[in-house]
Amino acid sequence: MEQIIANGLYLGAQYALIALGLTLIFALMNVLNFAHGQMYVIGGFVTYTVYAQLGLPFVVGVAASGVTLAIIGALVQKFLFGPVIRKSVREESTMLLAAGLAFLLDAVVLLLFGEKQRGVPKIVNGIFNYNDYTIVMPYDKILVGVLAILAIAAFILYMQYSKTGRAMRALAQDKVAAQLMGVDVDRYSIIGFALGAMLAGVVGGLLVTVTGINLGMGGPTSIKAFMMVMIGGAGVISGAIAGGFILGMLESVGLTVLAAYGDITYLVIFASLMVFLAIRPQGLMGKPWG
Amino acid sequence: MAVGAFLLTVFAVVPWLIHVSGRWDFYYTLTSVALLSIASGGVWLTFYIGRINIGQGAFALAGGYVSAILVTKYGFSFWVTIPLSGLFCALLAVLIGLPILRLRGVYFAMITLVLTEVARLAALALPITNGARGISSIPLPGELSIFGLTIIPDFSTIGNVKLAFYYLATVLMVVSFAGLYRLVNSRVGHLCRSLQQNEELASSIGVNIAYLRVIAFAISSFLGGISGAIFVAISRSIYPASFPVKDSVDFMLNCFLGGLGYVFGPMLGTLMIYFGWDLLFTTGRFQLLIYSAILIMLIVTLPNGILSLPLFNKREADK
Amino acid sequence: MLNRRIFVQTAVVAGIAAAASLAAPQGAWAANEKLRIGFVGVTSGPAAAWGISNVRSMQTRAAWINETGGVKIGDKTYDVEIVTFDDQKDPKRAIAGMEKMAQERIHYVVGPNVDDGAAAVRPVAEQNNIIYFPYAFPKSLYVKPASNAVLGMVANYQSGPAIYKYLQDKKGVKKVAFVCANESDPLSQRESGVAAAKALGLTVVSDNITYQVDTTDFTPVLTPVVRTQPDLLVLSGAAPANTPQLIRAARELGYKGLISAETAQDAAVIKEGAGDLANGFISVGGASTPEIATDAMREFVARYTKMFGEYNDESNTKVYALEYIFETLKANPKAIDNVEEFKKTMETLAAENIFMKGGAKLKYVGMTSFGQKRQVSVPMVVNEYRNGKFETLFIAEVD
Repeated sequence: MEQIIANGLYLGAQYALIALGLTLIFALMNVLNFAHGQMYVIGGFVTYTVYAQLGLPFVVGVAASGVTLAIIGALVQKFLFGPVIRKSVREESTMLLAAGLAFLLDAVVLLLFGEKQRGVPKIVNGIFNYNDYTIVMPYDKILVGVLAILAIAAFILYMQYSKTGRAMRALAQDKVAAQLMGVDVDRYSIIGFALGAMLAGVVGGLLVTVTGINLGMGGPTSIKAFMMVMIGGAGVISGAIAGGFILGMLESVGLTVLAAYGDITYLVIFASLMVFLAIRPQGLMGKPWG
Repeated sequence: MAVGAFLLTVFAVVPWLIHVSGRWDFYYTLTSVALLSIASGGVWLTFYIGRINIGQGAFALAGGYVSAILVTKYGFSFWVTIPLSGLFCALLAVLIGLPILRLRGVYFAMITLVLTEVARLAALALPITNGARGISSIPLPGELSIFGLTIIPDFSTIGNVKLAFYYLATVLMVVSFAGLYRLVNSRVGHLCRSLQQNEELASSIGVNIAYLRVIAFAISSFLGGISGAIFVAISRSIYPASFPVKDSVDFMLNCFLGGLGYVFGPMLGTLMIYFGWDLLFTTGRFQLLIYSAILIMLIVTLPNGILSLPLFNKREADK
Repeated sequence: MLNRRIFVQTAVVAGIAAAASLAAPQGAWAANEKLRIGFVGVTSGPAAAWGISNVRSMQTRAAWINETGGVKIGDKTYDVEIVTFDDQKDPKRAIAGMEKMAQERIHYVVGPNVDDGAAAVRPVAEQNNIIYFPYAFPKSLYVKPASNAVLGMVANYQSGPAIYKYLQDKKGVKKVAFVCANESDPLSQRESGVAAAKALGLTVVSDNITYQVDTTDFTPVLTPVVRTQPDLLVLSGAAPANTPQLIRAARELGYKGLISAETAQDAAVIKEGAGDLANGFISVGGASTPEIATDAMREFVARYTKMFGEYNDESNTKVYALEYIFETLKANPKAIDNVEEFKKTMETLAAENIFMKGGAKLKYVGMTSFGQKRQVSVPMVVNEYRNGKFETLFIAEVD
């Protein structure tokens, strides 16, 4: 049991960080960013290139991932999402743009980084073994988990106390009111998108040390992130964190408890997710506007 | 007038062009476009009541399995299984729709996306679907006759099966979209549009919104089901991954690209998305790059769909 | 303003039309006549690795042949051209791809890569006289009345028993556990693997644990499997991207037994993803291990590496389909546009295998598994991973 909880916590920390970026973008612009997973993949490949290929320190790799994605995010918002949001009659139209962007990034990743699964040398060696295999956890996973939690904490503090963070929260709460109060919507949308994309890049960079990276991870990562966001409640930061940890626990505990059922394990997990959403249509702490 | 031209194009000009140019491969591509646009038409209808539906793949898969199982295990005629698979999906949609149609926006989108994955996993797990091994070697559609009068001959005796499937798919497409057009321009259609704008308001003026939503979702799924059933007859096999999440997303994208405000949007969107990929096949490893770049350019210039071009709107106004 | 908008919109539409017309097939110019071989499979998206290693090995071989003057069939010499179609792992698109091949009057096609695609293209291939070489294992594709599909590799129900038997005899394996992804291909492979293990008298301690292909952390998946304490953990139908993570998770959970897979893997991927933890991992490969590779194989690897920057060990198993097509056509030039002639020659072909030492022949097999010769005879090379490289464990043949 201890092992299962440890697994769940580790999974939860990484999931929550992925979900944060997605929910931030959704909260600010009502854009469901289908390309979030692809951004995560690019982050992973950038760290791979910097750390494994060029031999620079790991921290530099993760920083490079964050910066690259922040730039991509800002450009994407300024030249693609911004104009489309302004011009479209129904705001859902951005979903097509997001999907097109996901295809594009997939194509770019394939051409730039190839089709193979990539991995980097371990950042720390060794395995933490508590009480003879009651809890086993490699040190690199523990480190990644801790770094993820630190990143989440830093993000929350930034949103809570910085001027930019406050402006973005105001935007998320009520766009019109924020605009009337003098918040520059365009500017903060760009910053918000860059920040969300940066988070995806940072997770990609962190996780490449544990799970490696390949071009196929984009789509599924996006979908997992959607699920977490929905469980917690769309557009709410605490919701994304809760959703991440819940999905992490669900996978860890669910797999163990349902292992006896074998092949239908995932059927049960997904079906119960549907039932949960049907009972609680706005997730755990979301606003019902969706 | 425009309708006549369209019918003439679909039923006469296209086959003639294919015949003249010798591009026989376009029959299958266009058959797929017709079938996928039927399913997309269903998704469009759920958009019309203000729901983002990413679950049509589930219904196409269910429809396909219903047809395949009825034909291979119970010896049904394929022609009977078309409406049956549609009705099965409609029923399924009512059962699933009652609880989930209360959800809105991204929540509904998400739950339907999960539904697609649930359908795949169910197809893997249920005994009747033959699990992972799928159902293959399904016979071609047999003869359809009423009182000894042959209406549609046995497909295995037809020389040109591709043409036969093309006509089957396009006829169904025309019928489906005529039905959708009729529905949208009826009283029910206007009520649906009021749902899209404001459900509370619609409810307050006495519209039974729950009932309307379920009906629209059932019709949508019916269309998904029949399109799946015919696909199975063409590929003569079905597997749990025959209609994956990617298809569900594509059905939705077809609607966006064509234009959410136009009944015939999904048809045009499907043509662009599916046929576009096919045309680009000679570009080799740059195919996806070019394809997605064009897609992005299109949506940035025409965020309300291709049918929002003034060119098309003038014609709409004439009608 | 309005005019500008219309202008921009028209420009975009015109641009697309131009791009579409550019994409239309163009006639090629060359001294030799062209022999065109098709490929229908997945070269984008999550499973891209399967098809890309396939396409690249075909392109490498074609470029090599063309550089050295082409392939001589009968009294004509042909340049080889590979026509590829990306089916995105969607059976519906695979049909479209096969239709394209028929349209281009191609009679020999490599692919598709997965079960559902291979089953879906069957009607088209049979109607249009196309022989295709799928990398999919369902027997119904190769058993009569099916007759146009030729299995392009060793199926897991052929390699599995040989591996289990070897490990049973040499390493004293008694208890086996299976894990696989919850998709058609891996599940079917697990099923036949379990049957083979039971037939050998092995105890199957776990055969119902599956994972989603998008799993990134396999620790929760493998925790219950490792608890059953198997001697051998079989990764049925494991994708190259998942394999290193699976190995790593099992080892980090303290698993000490053997690990094997019946799918082709890439040593570099395993090295990056699992490092030394993967030492002793057993998988099925082609013929590039140093013990058996000929100069031709080494040249193939060198050319592949030069052309695409990096070699992929999966390509070893995928170099053969093209070779079989050429050798069969050489043996019977009439088959160039007549698949019935091709099928006749399949019964008798025996050509030199230029890629492997030891005088093995290129011949069609499959009588035991399918009741007709619908499989290429490729060497079943069972490899063991050690410090970044594969070493040959043993070699067997399929009949």
